[in-house]
Amino acid sequence: MDILVFVKRVAATQEEELRLIDDGKNIDLSKIPFKMNDWDNYAVEEAVKIVEGQGGSVTAISIGSAESDEVLRRAIAMGSKDGILMETQEAIHDPALRAQAIYNFLKKEDIKFDAIFTGVQSEDDQFAATGGILAGKMDLPYASMVIGIDAIENGYFVLRRELEGGLQERIKIKAPCILSIQSGINEPRYVSIMGIRKASKVERKTFKFNDFASRGDAIIDLIKWSYPEKKGGATMLTGEMDEICKEILEILKKKGVC
Amino acid sequence: MSYALIISEVRRGVFEERNLDSIGMAHLAGKDAFLLIPEGNYNLNNSIVNKIIKAKLEESLFLNPLIITELISKIIGTLGAPEIVIFTHSSSGIELASYLAGKMSLPIITDVSGYDRNEQIFFKSYYSDKVFGQFKKAKESPLVITVRSGSFKDHVTEKGKNAEEITVDGPSGIEERSFVEYVEEEKTGVDITKAEFLLSLGRGIGNKDEIPKFEELANLMKATISGSRPVIDKQWLPKERQVGTSGKTVKPKVYLAMGISGAFQHIAGMKDSECIIAVNKDPEAPIFQYAHYGIVADANKIRDKLKDLLQG
Repeated sequence: MDILVFVKRVAATQEEELRLIDDGKNIDLSKIPFKMNDWDNYAVEEAVKIVEGQGGSVTAISIGSAESDEVLRRAIAMGSKDGILMETQEAIHDPALRAQAIYNFLKKEDIKFDAIFTGVQSEDDQFAATGGILAGKMDLPYASMVIGIDAIENGYFVLRRELEGGLQERIKIKAPCILSIQSGINEPRYVSIMGIRKASKVERKTFKFNDFASRGDAIIDLIKWSYPEKKGGATMLTGEMDEICKEILEILKKKGVC
Repeated sequence: MSYALIISEVRRGVFEERNLDSIGMAHLAGKDAFLLIPEGNYNLNNSIVNKIIKAKLEESLFLNPLIITELISKIIGTLGAPEIVIFTHSSSGIELASYLAGKMSLPIITDVSGYDRNEQIFFKSYYSDKVFGQFKKAKESPLVITVRSGSFKDHVTEKGKNAEEITVDGPSGIEERSFVEYVEEEKTGVDITKAEFLLSLGRGIGNKDEIPKFEELANLMKATISGSRPVIDKQWLPKERQVGTSGKTVKPKVYLAMGISGAFQHIAGMKDSECIIAVNKDPEAPIFQYAHYGIVADANKIRDKLKDLLQG
């Protein structure tokens, strides 16, 4: 089975404070480390596992700046056969534009596949839409929130989708299809620095994003960003570590739990 | 006529409460609310929408991207194109909305949690609520959106009369994608929803090796350990310990969150706790907006200090 997996390089902002600049037209990411989008890491692992089991190949594809080569090398180190970069220096804020470029690319370059995997969403824009839009455009069956692939038989995936509150649904979906993979579906393998270095020797092709779609094709506009509305907010405990912890224990005592 | 088409989310006979946010969004935008729902007996107040469109098919067929798209094509054929198509921002909502948008080349904005009616601007989360993007459609066409649970239900108003009902025929099923069965999560010993005091751990604790040290603290404080999605995904803690929309909703007396930044899906699962204490390195972490007490610090250092104090 030949699987295309889309991987994105994103800012790792969990522990970082984000600053808006240029009157909210930009986010200052200059001091923030980048990494492979978490969900894509699970998607690559799932694709590689399938191919290790039944043969075929995994090709990692990324849309982004030249630095996105990092995430392609990581995907190769995890077991992808090769990598493709659709290079653009400009950030893309419309998932429909992203999907349109992918659609045109796959057609024009005549890329063959049995399945396309994406992560459910990316950590930066959280749209959770590119895979579904692409499936709609390509007229391929689609499933998102895939939390387990139970079997691949007679040209069908039997898989489980994560719903809410611990519930899942099992569905059957016909290949070729597009699946958006949910985090937690597997345990992504460890990748060493050596592995990533070795991956540099594997071919990565580069295409120009603009040859397949242009920014003018976007059908939504990002006007600007803003900070979330402040709600009441917490009473902040400050001071020495010792005092803070004593205060925490006081609160627990008052609540009668400790 | 300018109307909003609302795709209701129904599962195992239940009309999900988050559908009210979709209806509220339609009301806020000043559109007539047309609700698409499969035939069946659902607990729905039919005076809060203008029209109910009943799809003649089984419920298990309804929330399928390929089938929903076919139903919506039929509705557009009869009633004309809606101004906006509204889904819930849920597992099925995002799947259906994105597929529809691709199939019909419609603009889409997901996880909408705010709307400026004058400017027609939609607000959506970036980076787990650290900032919000303000979006507009850039094409004259119906817009597809998914709305965040809890964001718009306060805008629902009664119409003073019952909705008109019409029906639309649905397909009997399709081969490309079919529903097999629901699968329930395994039941095990621990039930975090019963705990009075949860010590909840997030990715900020760093790595799996820190877990035993938090277990020691939990023993000293008589707390039960729970965690946020990343910690469960990384298998640092078992799934039954997960707090959030895809895990458990909890309301303990005290929720002590360590190294949790507070993604919306997590907040939804713990915001009704009686007392929330949050420890996080980032002073702007969204969880501080919901916590009663906040501490900007390294969760592991706070843990060690608390242990020292408790051990005397």
